[in-house]
Amino acid sequence: MSLNRRTFLKSSALVGGALGLGGFPSLAHSAPALNDDGVDAAALVEHPHPQKKLSILILGGTGFIGPNQVRYALDRGHDVTLFNRGQTNPGLFPKVKKLIGDRNAADGHKALRGKKFDVVIDNPTTLPQWVKGAGEALKGNVGHYLFVSTISVFSSYPSPLDENGPLHEPGDMNVAPDQARVGNNYGRLKVRSEMEAKTQFGENVTIVRPGLIVGPGDLTDRFSYWPIRIEQGGEILAPGSPNDPTQYVDARDLSEWIVRLAETKTLGTFNATGPKSPTNMAELLYGIKAVTTSNAKFTWVDAEFLAANQVRAWSEMPVWVAPRGGNAFMLQTNCGKAWAAGLTFRPLALTAKDTLDWYHTRPAAEQEKAAAGIAPDKEKTVLAAWNTRKVGGAK
Amino acid sequence: MTRSRANTRPAQKKLKILVLGGTGFIGPHQVQHAVDRGHTITLFNRGKTNADLFPKLEKVFGDRTLPTAYDSLKGRQWDIVIDNGAQVPSWVREAGAALNNSASKYVFVSTLSTYVNRRAIGIQENGEQHKPAAPDATQQNAQYGPLKVRCEMEARAAWGDRALILRPGLIVGPGDLTDRFSYWPVRIERGGEVLAPGTPDDPVAFVDVRDLTEFSVRACENNLTGDYNCVGPKSTLTIAEMLYGIKAVTTSDARFTWVHADFVAEKRLRPYTDLPVWMPPRGDNAGWARMDCSKAINAGLTFRALADTAKATLDYYHQQPPERQATLKAGLAPEKEKETLAAWRASGQK
Repeated sequence: MSLNRRTFLKSSALVGGALGLGGFPSLAHSAPALNDDGVDAAALVEHPHPQKKLSILILGGTGFIGPNQVRYALDRGHDVTLFNRGQTNPGLFPKVKKLIGDRNAADGHKALRGKKFDVVIDNPTTLPQWVKGAGEALKGNVGHYLFVSTISVFSSYPSPLDENGPLHEPGDMNVAPDQARVGNNYGRLKVRSEMEAKTQFGENVTIVRPGLIVGPGDLTDRFSYWPIRIEQGGEILAPGSPNDPTQYVDARDLSEWIVRLAETKTLGTFNATGPKSPTNMAELLYGIKAVTTSNAKFTWVDAEFLAANQVRAWSEMPVWVAPRGGNAFMLQTNCGKAWAAGLTFRPLALTAKDTLDWYHTRPAAEQEKAAAGIAPDKEKTVLAAWNTRKVGGAK
Repeated sequence: MTRSRANTRPAQKKLKILVLGGTGFIGPHQVQHAVDRGHTITLFNRGKTNADLFPKLEKVFGDRTLPTAYDSLKGRQWDIVIDNGAQVPSWVREAGAALNNSASKYVFVSTLSTYVNRRAIGIQENGEQHKPAAPDATQQNAQYGPLKVRCEMEARAAWGDRALILRPGLIVGPGDLTDRFSYWPVRIERGGEVLAPGTPDDPVAFVDVRDLTEFSVRACENNLTGDYNCVGPKSTLTIAEMLYGIKAVTTSDARFTWVHADFVAEKRLRPYTDLPVWMPPRGDNAGWARMDCSKAINAGLTFRALADTAKATLDYYHQQPPERQATLKAGLAPEKEKETLAAWRASGQK
C-alpha cells in the first residue's frame, strides 16, 4: 500500500478527502474523514495552471461563492482585487486589495473609476442598475466581464433546456432594491441584468447561469438540510419518487470553473449545474448517507401527498421539485455546453462531507435554526399520516 | 451517531500479543492497530506471505502443518494469542496444546458461516450451528462452515472460558484479495449501465476489515470472552444505499438497472460471487443480512462510514499491479454483464 496517493488521485476520479481550504476545521463529532492525507480536492481533475497571470476584479467576493474564487485565483497566481461594502466577512483575505463601495448608493461604483483589470467577475448582482454602475465606472478599462446569473432566468422548464430556453420578461431597469426578490423579480431582474451586461461590455461578456449552489459556506441551508437531517438518523421523509431527477453544483466546482473561464477568456452564455451524469433523489440521499454512520431510513412520500399536506417542494423538501407541469425539467437542465467548456464536478461524498464539517463549525444558534427544510414536528406528523395511509391500503 | 474512530488514545494496559498468521488480509490491519495502541506483538507464521511486512516486530517462524510447528514458541509467555488464519481443527487443537500455558487468553476468528442457515431474522450467538466436521477434517474433505464449527469446539476444549470467538460476516476493504466487495466500487467507477441485483430494498451486510480488527484489539484490552457475531452496519443498509453510496465517492456516470432475483437465478448467476455482497433475502437466506450483532456492538464494535470503506477499497485496488487489477476474483465479467442486461431488457420485465 505504498503507491504515491497524490499521483493516484490526480489520475483518477475519486474523492480527494480533507478540505484543502483553510478555515473549516474538522470536528470530532462530524463524520469521519474520507482520507487522512489532506490532498486538495482540486487534484481530482487536474487543471494545469495558466501561462498568463490576470488582474481580476471580483465584485462581492466575501459571500458564498466569492471566497472560493478568490482562493482559487490566488492559488493560480492571479492578482485579485475585491470590491464590496466592506461589511460581509471583512476579515477575510487581509492581504488582498480591497475597494469599497455600496452599489445601491448614488455613484456607488466610483472607487472603480480609472482602475484597469483584465477581468471582472460580478457575483452578487441582483439589480440591473449594479451592472450599469459597474459598466459605466469601468468603461474601456476591462477586457472581460463575467456575470453570475441564474437558471431562474427561465420562465418555465417544459423540456431539458439549453441556453436558448424561454426567458422571463426582463424586469424593470429601475426597480427599487427592496423589490429585488418579490414575486418572480429575481429571475426577471437577472434577465435584465444579462441584457445590461451586453449593453455595457459588448461582446466581451460571459454569462454563467448556475442552478442550486451548494456546499460549505452556504447560509441558505438548501442542500445542507439533507446531510444534517440524515446524520441525525431515524425515519426520514424523502420527497416524491427515488427516481425524481435533481441537480446542484458545489460552490467550489462553480467558482473554480469561473476563474478558468476568465483564464481562457471563454465568452458566451452557459447553464451551469450538475452533476455530469443524470442523478436522482435516491442517489443524492443514499450518497449523503454514505458519508455518515447514521441509521437513517428513508420513507418516500409521493408528490400528491406532500402537496395535500402543505409540504412545499424546494424550501421544505430541498433540492427537489415534483417533476411535472412547468417544472417538469427544472432539475434536468442541459449543461453540456458548460461541461464541454471545462466545468468539472467533485464527487457527492466530498460535497456532503465538507458541508457537514462546515455546518458543525457554525455557532450553535445558527445550527439550531435551519434556513431551509421541513420542521422536525411537521416531518413527524406527515410521516405518521403517510404511514397510516399506507397501512389502510390507500397506496 | 456512532463515532467511527473510537480508539485514538493509547491503551491503559499494554499487552503482549502473539499473532498466529498476521500477514494475510485482516492480520496486517490488526497488527498495525495493536502497535498503534502500544501493545507488543510477536508474529508467528511461515515467513512466506508478505515477509517484509512489519520489519520492526518480532517474528517467529513455524509451519502449522508440521508436528514441530510450535517448538520455537516453547517457554515464552504472552497475555493473548490471536489466531486469524486457522481453518483446520487440528491447527486450533495443536496451538491450544502448545500454547494454553503460555497465554491467558485465545482469540479465534471464526465466521457467521458456522450457522446452519440464516432463515431467521436476527440470529444471535446461540443460533443453531452446522454439525461439526470430523476432528481431523481438512478443506479437502469438509465444508468451510462445519470446519469452523469444529475449530470453535477445539478452541473451547483447549481454552475453556478463556476463548474469545469472533464470527465475522463478509470482511471487506483495503487488502481484500477475494474482491467480494471490491467488485462494486471498481465496477461503479468504470461507469455505464451497471447490473444491480434484486430489488433496491434488499438488505446487505459486511464489515470493514479495519472495524473488525480494531474491535478484536479492543476486545483484548477489555478482556472479552465468549462468542460474538461481527457484521455491520449497525442499522439496515439496503443494496441501493450501498451502490449509490459507493457511487458517491466517484464521479462516475454509472446508472443501475435492477434485475430481479428470479431472473438472476434463471441465468444461473450466483448471488454473492457473481453478484457480490448480495443474497436474495428469502428461504434459508432470509436473514442473511440481518444477523443480530448487538452483543458485539454493545461490547465496542463500531462501523466506519460506507464512503470511507468504498474510497479506501478503490485506493487499494488502484495500487495493485495492472495484471491484478485486470482480473477481479468476484463479480460479473463485463461481457456476461452486458449479455445479461440485454436478456433482461428483451424479457420485457421491469
